[in-house]
Amino acid sequence: MGDKTDVWQGTLALMVLRTLETMGPQHGYGLARRIEQTSGDLLELNYGTLYPALLKLEQEGYIRSRWGASENNRRAKFYELTRAGQKQLRKAAREWEQTTEILARFLNPAGQG
Amino acid sequence: MNKLRAILKRLCGTLFRMPAGDDFDEELEAHLALDTERGMRGGLTREEARRQALMRLGGAEQVRNAYRERQVLPWLESLLRDLRYSARSLARHPAVTAVAVLSIGLGVGANTTIFSMVSRFVLQPAPVGDPGTLLALHIMQKSEHCCNPFPWPLFADLRRQAHSFSDMAAYYELIPASISGGGEPERVWGQGVTPNFFRVTEVPMVLGSGFADSDDRIPVVVLSERLWRRRFNSDRGIIGKNVTLSGHSFTVTGIAPAALHSIDQILDAEFWVPLGLTPELVPNLPPHDSREYHWLAVVGRLRPGVPRAQVTAELNVLAQRFAAAYPKTDQDNHFVFEQAGSLPPRERGPVLLFLSALSLVVVLLLVIAGANVTSLLFAQAVSRQREMSVRLALGATRGRLRRLVLMESVLLSLAGGATGVLLSLWATQALSAFHLPAPVPLDLHIGIDVRTLVYTFLLSVTCGLLLGLAPAWAAARPVMTNALKGEAAIVRIGRRISLRSLLVTAQVAISLVLLCITGLFLRSLQSAASINIGFQTRGLLLLSIDPRLHGYTPAQTSAMLRQLRQRVAALPGVDDVVCTDVALLSGGNRSDGFTVSGHSSKGEPYIITDLYMATPGYFDALGMPRLAGRDFGGETPNGPRTAIVNRAFVDRLFGGANPIGQHVAGGGWTYEIIGVVGNAKSRTVGEDTRPILYRSLDQTVADDPSLMGYTLVVHTPGNPGDLADSVRRQVYAIDPAMAIYNQETMQEHVRRAFVLPRVAAMLFGVFGGIGLVLATVGLYGVMSFAVSRRTREIGIRMAMGAQPGAVKRLVMRQGMMLTLAALVLGWPAAWMLAKLASSFLYGIAPHDTLTFAIVPIVLAAVALIACWIPGRRAASINPMDALRAE
Repeated sequence: MGDKTDVWQGTLALMVLRTLETMGPQHGYGLARRIEQTSGDLLELNYGTLYPALLKLEQEGYIRSRWGASENNRRAKFYELTRAGQKQLRKAAREWEQTTEILARFLNPAGQG
Repeated sequence: MNKLRAILKRLCGTLFRMPAGDDFDEELEAHLALDTERGMRGGLTREEARRQALMRLGGAEQVRNAYRERQVLPWLESLLRDLRYSARSLARHPAVTAVAVLSIGLGVGANTTIFSMVSRFVLQPAPVGDPGTLLALHIMQKSEHCCNPFPWPLFADLRRQAHSFSDMAAYYELIPASISGGGEPERVWGQGVTPNFFRVTEVPMVLGSGFADSDDRIPVVVLSERLWRRRFNSDRGIIGKNVTLSGHSFTVTGIAPAALHSIDQILDAEFWVPLGLTPELVPNLPPHDSREYHWLAVVGRLRPGVPRAQVTAELNVLAQRFAAAYPKTDQDNHFVFEQAGSLPPRERGPVLLFLSALSLVVVLLLVIAGANVTSLLFAQAVSRQREMSVRLALGATRGRLRRLVLMESVLLSLAGGATGVLLSLWATQALSAFHLPAPVPLDLHIGIDVRTLVYTFLLSVTCGLLLGLAPAWAAARPVMTNALKGEAAIVRIGRRISLRSLLVTAQVAISLVLLCITGLFLRSLQSAASINIGFQTRGLLLLSIDPRLHGYTPAQTSAMLRQLRQRVAALPGVDDVVCTDVALLSGGNRSDGFTVSGHSSKGEPYIITDLYMATPGYFDALGMPRLAGRDFGGETPNGPRTAIVNRAFVDRLFGGANPIGQHVAGGGWTYEIIGVVGNAKSRTVGEDTRPILYRSLDQTVADDPSLMGYTLVVHTPGNPGDLADSVRRQVYAIDPAMAIYNQETMQEHVRRAFVLPRVAAMLFGVFGGIGLVLATVGLYGVMSFAVSRRTREIGIRMAMGAQPGAVKRLVMRQGMMLTLAALVLGWPAAWMLAKLASSFLYGIAPHDTLTFAIVPIVLAAVALIACWIPGRRAASINPMDALRAE
């Protein structure tokens, strides 16, 4: 457990958007599981924080939700990406890549990289 | 963009409380079920699986709360909760709340009313396109005060040479014209403008277009939307049709918006014709080639990005260039400018002074009102100290308590502000109903505009915060131990002078200042009413016509007026009919410089003299004493010119010597003085006596016709108002198309001349009255409160043998000490401020003894009553009840 990392502020939204892009519509629990799996179980996701984050994305118009039936026929709320969400995802991903690239330069001194 | 969207959604969530909670509960339940199922698949019992699912979730209730906070705007929600709480607590004391709201309402209403005047006369930009870059230009001569209009050649030079401006337009300010068709014939006023006028000013037309640059000599006209609605029934097909102005036909090319009265925002014009055609409507216009006659108002459109300093510099250079080229006429000229639509330079000083004086007064009024409200809030805080202490003890923060009290005072102020707007809607309407005495049409309408509403809103909120500050602070710091025992917790023990006493002292002091100023203006009105205007007003009917506007030649005008006099004289009940150009006390008329003729050497007395026309019998009809010589009679239009002058004229020009038979010259004519009459007020009631010269009407109609038309003065022993219809019928009998205007009795006419002292007395009377009432309420409130706080003490005193009279004196002494302190503070302040009012007073000194002696006595008497009632209540306290009550 000690090896697991908390989710950084602001990255959860990006993870949600990306997961929805690759997986298509998902309910909240599926999303949470999927994010954990994608991280190779390195992340410890507090499931409770997911729902306010989803609400925020929905308020901002990046995702939309509707009720549907889950795999074992349970009623669940499904989230899917909107067009604005796709745009936002590309923008956020680009920014994130830039950030990591900059940080990488600091962490790998010149010559070694 | 998306952030905004989210905020809006949350705002909706806060305000409308969507039933999303249940929705989320279901979602959460689904989540838990799914997670539990996974745990069970891993071999756990249902209970254990659910327990672990809940742990992974981080607690259902916490998630629900986090979700809910995200649904709404938490700060707004708590604000709304406080608001509801404040509203409820205000509603619990309806009487106190009503007094507070009304107090603020009166204070704010007074401020709103005065601000609406400031907004109208100082802040409102002209109704033109991009008002910030349209400048009004004036000529200033070194020897004179501001400002003169332009001669045509100077305007043309400036327009060509001033590169700071993309273009300039000129206009002749007022043209009278008759208009008929669609109702009774009417006299209307318009302006003569250069054809580029509407292009330069960028006034958007309601219908049609302005003028083309080639229109200078083409009979076209732009009508005001107001005239179009009134006389043409808003006919949308009017463009291209002809209308008749003073007998000349003009083609309508456009309808100007109703908001456009005149670029200066004071004059009230209803049509615009090209300047080139103005001579058809106005006789004796200055020639276009003369550099001596100043007659055109000028506006210029700044080129984009040109700073004002550059304009000043360029105009100075041009002034010097013109002075070198035309030393005779342009020697001492320089140019000044301001944003078009600002107050005219000549009037700016007095108007600003008047508005500042009023603003000061209404701010003082608001302070009095505010003191009442702070006082009430304090009383509330005291009566709620227990509630506050309990809240504090239960863990509420002081900040939260302060916010609650502040919220209440802001709420009170906003309600007061709304009341104030309603009050000032009524007040501005009442003020707009006053008409200034002026021979020309003025638009002085004031109303509540958006600017005023914003100002009122900000003022109310500021008031609310300021008024609540001290009570909020006090309420949030109760002495806990005392409060929980039910003893005084906010009124600190050992503090002799409470804040409320200070407030009430300030209130009474300020209301003394207000009342002194009110007293001065009331005395001024009284003194104005006793001013000898020099003629009698009873039994006189006035009625004006202008035959020239209907195409009459001077000879026809003379004949028509004579015929009219004969016809009216034959009416039953009429014992005298005379004619003049403009009645005295109309606000202004023709004037010229006069000298004794034949003495043209320098240093000879030269006096500015007001000119009026008269027919034989004029002075007798108006009851003006004829002091020497004879009346008019037997003058022929081309005979030697005769004049009758007033005593001031004789005193100033002849040093009081007998002027009969002497000749005086002015305005290009020489007159023989045939008579002297008593002085009369010429333009305004408050003026120093002016020299007046009366000319024979028949001798003047041709060469110097009146632009204001001619006024028939009918004298009757009965009620002059009853004659109006029969006199009108006589006018229509001669010419059914003749426009009749300014029909009124002389008493109505003179009453209008008193409008300034009346408006001032009314404004200050109302403000002073409100101030007195508010201060009295304040004093009464403080004394009542003191009595109710000291019930127990008084009870003990009485149980120990104090007489009711002594108790009453005790209370009243306290109140009267406050009043006395206030009078001692307020009196010198009033004395100093009175100087400010001096230029608006008629016939009394600013340090009028009567005012300054009576007002403090009146105030003290009112204060005595305000203290007497609580005093009596204190005296009637039953010791047994007082001591038992807890």
